[in-house]
Amino acid sequence: MSTTTKSNTQLFVDGILKENPIFKLALSMCPAVGISTSVMNGILLGTAVLFVQVFSSCTISIVRNYIHPKIRIPTYTLTIATWVTVIDLVLAAYVPVAYNAMGMFVRLIVAFAIITMRLEMFACKEPLVKSFVDGVGMGLGFMVGMVALGVVRELLGSGELLGYDVLGFQPLLFFILPSAGFFVVGLMMAFFNWIEVVHNRKKEG
Amino acid sequence: MKEIIKITFALTISCVVAASAMGLTYTLTAKAKKHNHHMNVQNAMLDLLGYGEDNPAPSDLQFLRIYRYIIREDGRQFMGYMVPVEKDGDIAYEMVMMDLEYNFLKKFEVPISLEEALEVHDRAKALEKVFEPNQSFSYADAAVVAVAGGDRVGYILPGQFPGFRTFIHALVAMDPNFELLGLEIMEHEEDAGLGAEIEEDYFKNQFEGVTYDKLKTLEVVKKPLPGDYKKYLEREQLKEGALTKEEITEIQKKYKNQDIYAITASTISSVAVTNGVKNTAKKFAYRIDKLDTVLDKQNIQTAF
Repeated sequence: MSTTTKSNTQLFVDGILKENPIFKLALSMCPAVGISTSVMNGILLGTAVLFVQVFSSCTISIVRNYIHPKIRIPTYTLTIATWVTVIDLVLAAYVPVAYNAMGMFVRLIVAFAIITMRLEMFACKEPLVKSFVDGVGMGLGFMVGMVALGVVRELLGSGELLGYDVLGFQPLLFFILPSAGFFVVGLMMAFFNWIEVVHNRKKEG
Repeated sequence: MKEIIKITFALTISCVVAASAMGLTYTLTAKAKKHNHHMNVQNAMLDLLGYGEDNPAPSDLQFLRIYRYIIREDGRQFMGYMVPVEKDGDIAYEMVMMDLEYNFLKKFEVPISLEEALEVHDRAKALEKVFEPNQSFSYADAAVVAVAGGDRVGYILPGQFPGFRTFIHALVAMDPNFELLGLEIMEHEEDAGLGAEIEEDYFKNQFEGVTYDKLKTLEVVKKPLPGDYKKYLEREQLKEGALTKEEITEIQKKYKNQDIYAITASTISSVAVTNGVKNTAKKFAYRIDKLDTVLDKQNIQTAF
């Protein structure tokens, strides 16, 4: 009943490059613009999104034949909310170090478009294994995107990387402010597209 | 018609399953989560009082908590302080009731152990048994008194005040003379790189050593942080020997009772924290002074 012809490896790689959620699919721009102010934020949020995406994709894929078509979105939202709550509680109880760092971010994930869209576009149609691989690819693609943005913004905005003073001064404080998020995301989208154009040109030529 | 019933049924089932999953996880993880939170607070308090690896806390160090309540009776308002008292070689809780001018009214025992008293719900259950039906009470705040060797070593006040985004939760530590021992930010939602810098040593350590007199007029100045002061504030992160003992004492003296240097581009967060610390400390100093007077006059043998 699978409608996709891609292999598992292809699914995984596409999630990171060709169908990167932030730079190609333009989904979940809110965290990309607002929270990508440091590399550590990117890593923590990316990890949280990865877990939520994988668990949600697998859950929806398992029950995909029983979801009433008219209430798809409420079902996705319920699934995502349940997994976010479970992950939040488990982290707080058993991994306090990680929770202190990323507890604030985990709760925001419920509103992310990327997860709902992926469940709608993929997980509700595809079998379990393919959904799992797609979830991992998308989650990692999101993390890669956030880290890339974080590197640029943290380095240029506060002269640090992962909290360590690299430059010794703050080049342009503007880069940590929300408006810079739009600029940097736009520029990186252009960069990603340019790379793809060059790559395709090389393949043809 | 059949369609709507199917949809309603499906939604109900989904919600029940989701709620059960979340409820089950909560039941299984609640205890561990509370324990972790408690350990976090405990470690922060020990750190604020200056205890650590090089300076281990005395073995008889105790954190005793005073809980403040607002009591309403027949349309009038009163104050209630739940204080730990010495009783037959052990510690028990007594509720000391006063009017709004700190005139003593009455006191009565609260049947609750130190351990149970940490939870606001357990306290409420115990208090309901000892209060009259025409009295209602509401919890206001708590203060922690650190005692060792029969003396007060310091006060730690959990404070909550509005920041640039939402509330900032902090622990303010004072010595018995109300000089600030330090500040620890427990929870906040300020922006990374901007308001979140209130967690950094170069900001929060500026509150160390501020005397109570200076605290009443403490301001925030929008000037760049001097290099030597920054080095002193971050001395714990620097390598061994970066600052000699003489240099440390000299810088300490030079910047004693200095106004707080604001974080670049985060004046609002800096002012919010400074005002929050000021208010928390001032309110507590006033209250503990009045409370001590009442406890003395009534000859109540407190454990602190």
